[in-house]
Amino acid sequence: MSVITLSRQLGSLGFEIGEEVGRRLGYAVIGRDLINQAARRAGAPEVALDMIDELGLLGVKPSAAARRAYVAAVRQVMEELAGGEHVVIIGRGGQVILHDWPGALHVRVIAPAALRAERVAQRHGIGLLAAQAQVEASDRHRQNFLRLYLQAAIEDSNFYHLILNTAYFSVEQAASLIVCAVKGCIPS
Amino acid sequence: MHPAEVVFARILDFYGIAWQYEPRTFPLEWDEQKRVTLAFTPDFYLPDQDLYIELTTLRPRLSTLKNRKMRRMAELYPDVHIKLLKRREMRDLMIKFGLYDEAEKLLGTEAQMMEEEVEDVARG
Repeated sequence: MSVITLSRQLGSLGFEIGEEVGRRLGYAVIGRDLINQAARRAGAPEVALDMIDELGLLGVKPSAAARRAYVAAVRQVMEELAGGEHVVIIGRGGQVILHDWPGALHVRVIAPAALRAERVAQRHGIGLLAAQAQVEASDRHRQNFLRLYLQAAIEDSNFYHLILNTAYFSVEQAASLIVCAVKGCIPS
Repeated sequence: MHPAEVVFARILDFYGIAWQYEPRTFPLEWDEQKRVTLAFTPDFYLPDQDLYIELTTLRPRLSTLKNRKMRRMAELYPDVHIKLLKRREMRDLMIKFGLYDEAEKLLGTEAQMMEEEVEDVARG
């Protein structure tokens, strides 16, 4: 197995889990680099800002054509990555784009909204209400990306081999479960 | 740095986006002695995105000059990507997302703009 896609919610600790899995397996972890590379390839670098700005603070509004070119480039870059080195690809609809990729493992990391808001509030030193707004805005942004550009629902469990709820697992425990799934040590 | 630019930089930091402030000036027009008579210095450069950012004010008089510069930029430097951003509604969004300090700075900017406009009127 050479590729793991990791879909995650804001405040779910999904990025940390992806990094831990990458560290343990020696896989490259691809997150924002994918966004930047795809946007550059599409000739529309402002789309990268729009994608990163999931709370809508910057007000970047790329054209529909630029967004379409970006999504086509995301698909291209992701398939190149999956066909090359061992990688953990975080976000950008990897579970949809690489759904039928041979040997790929697709993981989703979730947690209850209230817990995620608490984590976001603590991490950024902001109030709980503001953190809840960030969580809601992020959820909307990520759902919309998949719905609009990949015609898929992010919550559709058919796209994932594993769905991990970090209300019950620490980063280390979740990483161990993923590593175990990659190494085939889960008993049949 | 202008207060609105300070706010913008804080948002970039919030998202972990690398940035440089006014790293390059682009000559746009020259006189007969080849001296630069018009130039453009975008506010920010984002190296990871290879993108320049220019924050715009809402005042039409300034927008006209800026639009002229943008047209010349497109003619002379077609491979350079520049994004114009308006700061309208930024303050409300920042409050919603808990960036109170940044929003306060922007409020200060708006107050400063009003003062500038009063001065403009006084000057005729």
